[in-house]
Amino acid sequence: MLPHRNNTLTQPLALWITAVCLLLMSMSVPAEDKPVVYTVNYPLQYFAERIAGDLVEVVLPVPAGIDPAFWQPDSEAVSAFQQADLILLNGAGYAKWLSRVSLPRRKLINTSAAFRDRYLQVDEGVTHSHGREGDHSHTGVAFTTWLDFKLAAEQARAIAAALSKIRPASKNVFERNLALLEQELLALDSQLREMVATKPAISLLASHPVYQYFKRRYDLNITSVMWEPDVVPGAVQWSELKQLLKLLPSNWMVWEGRPGPESVARLESMGVGSLVFDPCGNRPVEGDFLGVMQQNLQNLKRAY
Amino acid sequence: MDSLYIAWKYLNFSKARTATLVACVTLIAVLPLALQLLLAESERQLLSRAASTPLLLGAPGSALDLVMNGLYFDDEVPELISMAAVDALADSGLASPIPLYVRFKARRFPIVGTTLDYFDFRGLTVTAGRPLALLGDCVVGAEVAERLGLKAGDSLLSSPETVFDLAGVYPLNMKVAGVLARAHTPDDLAVFVDIKTAWVVEGLVHGHQDLSRVEDAGVIIEQSSDNVIANAKLVEYTEINPGNIESFHFHGTPGDYPLSAVITVPNDAKSATILRGRHLDGASDYQLVVPETVIDGLLANIFRIKHMLDAVILVVAVATVLALVLVFALSIRLRQREIQTVFRIGGSRLTIARLLAAEIAIIALISGVLCAVALLLVHHYSDELVRSLVIR
Repeated sequence: MLPHRNNTLTQPLALWITAVCLLLMSMSVPAEDKPVVYTVNYPLQYFAERIAGDLVEVVLPVPAGIDPAFWQPDSEAVSAFQQADLILLNGAGYAKWLSRVSLPRRKLINTSAAFRDRYLQVDEGVTHSHGREGDHSHTGVAFTTWLDFKLAAEQARAIAAALSKIRPASKNVFERNLALLEQELLALDSQLREMVATKPAISLLASHPVYQYFKRRYDLNITSVMWEPDVVPGAVQWSELKQLLKLLPSNWMVWEGRPGPESVARLESMGVGSLVFDPCGNRPVEGDFLGVMQQNLQNLKRAY
Repeated sequence: MDSLYIAWKYLNFSKARTATLVACVTLIAVLPLALQLLLAESERQLLSRAASTPLLLGAPGSALDLVMNGLYFDDEVPELISMAAVDALADSGLASPIPLYVRFKARRFPIVGTTLDYFDFRGLTVTAGRPLALLGDCVVGAEVAERLGLKAGDSLLSSPETVFDLAGVYPLNMKVAGVLARAHTPDDLAVFVDIKTAWVVEGLVHGHQDLSRVEDAGVIIEQSSDNVIANAKLVEYTEINPGNIESFHFHGTPGDYPLSAVITVPNDAKSATILRGRHLDGASDYQLVVPETVIDGLLANIFRIKHMLDAVILVVAVATVLALVLVFALSIRLRQREIQTVFRIGGSRLTIARLLAAEIAIIALISGVLCAVALLLVHHYSDELVRSLVIR
């Protein structure tokens, strides 16, 4: 049997060794991996980031300057999507490339599935080309659902529900953040409705057929042409516009991006002002989604 | 020892007779044992695959055809259903659906159109190359890669459904994106594509030159502001590459696109019961089967046949043994002079009996060795034999 003096030495030593071992073990256990969520456009990325905060890594792999709706990923980009824990889709036929790639069905979340019965059909079927994304047409279902801020809030709710499934421990955080986001989206919704209600008869022209949900929700009197902000319209397009103005007199053209000065000047000579309402499909150069929408609202006020 | 030597010399002298006796004994021993081995292997293969597939949804009709096509990629294609069935299952929130479209072939191997979820479900991994990513990609099973000498980056052409279908769809030149690790299941013998690529093979999704920019005016039959009608001169793309992938498009609603079956993975036992209740006879446009039950039924039939075969083999065995006894009895009579000689040189009856016993022992030994070799071969190739003889 060991003498009492030895016991008094070995007991604290054993405690120290145990403590060091526990510390080392705790250091060697990796922190819970951050789920990775891929999105197909910027509004969804913004909503997911607002809802998840730092708890989730949210990725939009579409390069800047390209409309995500008409992007075509290569196999490496598709592979990155496949590795994600969750893939947030806009639905409503957004991102045609989805039908040309292989993605795991169980990871796909259609954020607009809850209101698929309210999708809008479009028939502006002329194929056209602009930017780096090449030829495309707008036939089928209208997809800029987030321009109806009430629908955008529904999409945000779908995102929060999907995030809660992959990270149930953070459900309360997600719901708290969602409530804030919803509040801001619905505030925008109210502002727009109030603004349009002041002059409901105003007729607007849209440079591109991307404002269908916006038009329906806010009861806008808006007619689309097939122009591009970065392309000066040709003689035929000007002639068609003159005909259109005879039928639907309008003082404003709503552009999805900043129009060229030549187009602006010629429109002004015809008595049509230009204002930008950016759908914000891809990450803006400055600010964020709500910032861009607030700016859009300010721009639209020029017409109202 | 002397008896064995003399018996061996005698058997060696009467080669034809010995060979006949050995063949008879070997065959009568090998047949039931080999049959037993093959049946055990087929039972293992059929049941393990069926047991790992909880539910299978398909069109009403033969449940066996549905299971054999959906699980073992059998040539017999069941009645087709549509993608709407997959959407309905997903919307139910009770199960994860994995669509299957097993109809076409590439160089005699079945093309299995599915989604990436199938690979996770079956635990299939890619050993070379990458998984499916783009329209037109395929990943091949280990056996397909070996037999066709395929590797990642190669091409594989789909086969036309019938040789005489001159107005049919052009074969699709698929890109081999990867090769699957050997799974020792029918997956080794399949060519996997995305479900959308399977529809390209069928011609439902296709790509062609932009009709608004064709140089040959003879291609256009009629053109209006919102519609262009082309004739058969318009060449459709037979290969999907980065240059033309964006021209590939669906016609109609994707929900109407065909499938042969849907592997249904219920969330839990309760969900499975609810789903089965919803698809009872007449309650739905589809049938939802438990593959294990269907295969159990098939095996019960196979074993009934096996019992019959066993009885036949038993009768043949008895007849053969009687024939062998007769052969020996006759040979003793024919060898009377030899036996007399043995007596005359001092051999006893016991010596004669030992000589005959040694002959029988040697024949039994040779037959035993041949039987063991044959059974080892059957066992070695049982996997493939079952797939070619029983499953496909």
